[in-house]
Amino acid sequence: MRRDRGRKPKKKICSFCVDKIESVDYKQYEKLKRFVTERGKVLPRRISGNCARHQRQLTRAIKKARIMALLPFTME
Amino acid sequence: MEHYEIMLIFSPELEKEEHEEVLNGLSDVIVKQAGTVGTILNWRKRRLAYEINKLQEGHYYLIYFSGPGTIIPEIEHYFRVTDDVIRYMVVRTDEQEYAAAAEKAASEAAAAEKAADAAETAEAIEDAAATEETELAEETELAEEAEPAEEAEPAEEAEPAEEAEPAEEAEPAEEAEPAEEAEPAEEAEPAEEAGPTDIDEAAETENAASESEKPEETSGKEKTDQ
Ligand SMILES: [Zn+2]
Repeated sequence: MRRDRGRKPKKKICSFCVDKIESVDYKQYEKLKRFVTERGKVLPRRISGNCARHQRQLTRAIKKARIMALLPFTME
Repeated sequence: MEHYEIMLIFSPELEKEEHEEVLNGLSDVIVKQAGTVGTILNWRKRRLAYEINKLQEGHYYLIYFSGPGTIIPEIEHYFRVTDDVIRYMVVRTDEQEYAAAAEKAASEAAAAEKAADAAETAEAIEDAAATEETELAEETELAEEAEPAEEAEPAEEAEPAEEAEPAEEAEPAEEAEPAEEAEPAEEAEPAEEAGPTDIDEAAETENAASESEKPEETSGKEKTDQ
């Protein structure tokens, strides 16, 4: 959306790494909600601060959760 | 031999016997294909994030099994001919999760047993004290307090005969992670709009998923195809 002129120097940390999560579980969909926008889109890494590995796992987990109607699909 | 997890959703109006019938049939399929059925977890009724076949809620189950990958098409076929299941997904899992599920099931069973025992004891106490109405009244009061407790432990001291029914619900262990069940309700409304399109999207995602991930991963039940 709106682009901030000065980018935030604050470093984001991957919360999955912090929590020592080995693999992101689609069944824990309540936890995944935090990484989804109001419209149901996956938050980009630059916002969430997730590492690449966990972001990939997260994206897959969210896909599965959507298929099983645990999370909504993106709303237009 | 691989480890797999099936998540499936039953139409919400079905009774436990009907669930069992389908689950038994599924077990037969797995066993016939040289697989082994592990844990079956009742994930209970949940609000769907979007409507499926005009339904707003569904009864979820998790089934763990191990076996050769050749089982998967057989399972797909089984679900295709089983109308009670409105959606399912088969994913590969690992031994850790497989074992964790078994542990969970065991603790749930223990909790249920505990609750049942407590209920029995409660009945005995009640019989003995049946004449003393004041005492009974007190017990009932206590029972009411004990009930809302989400943990199964209170069942121990719980005098209540009422615990007898909750015994079935005494699977709080499984509620542990998914706990916040109330929230999906919020999402249910906007999902109505998503309804007509979600099927297509599901199919797309599904294909994407099975391409990018293990080929054994499948999900299905898009009834609109028919
Ligand atoms: Zn990470």
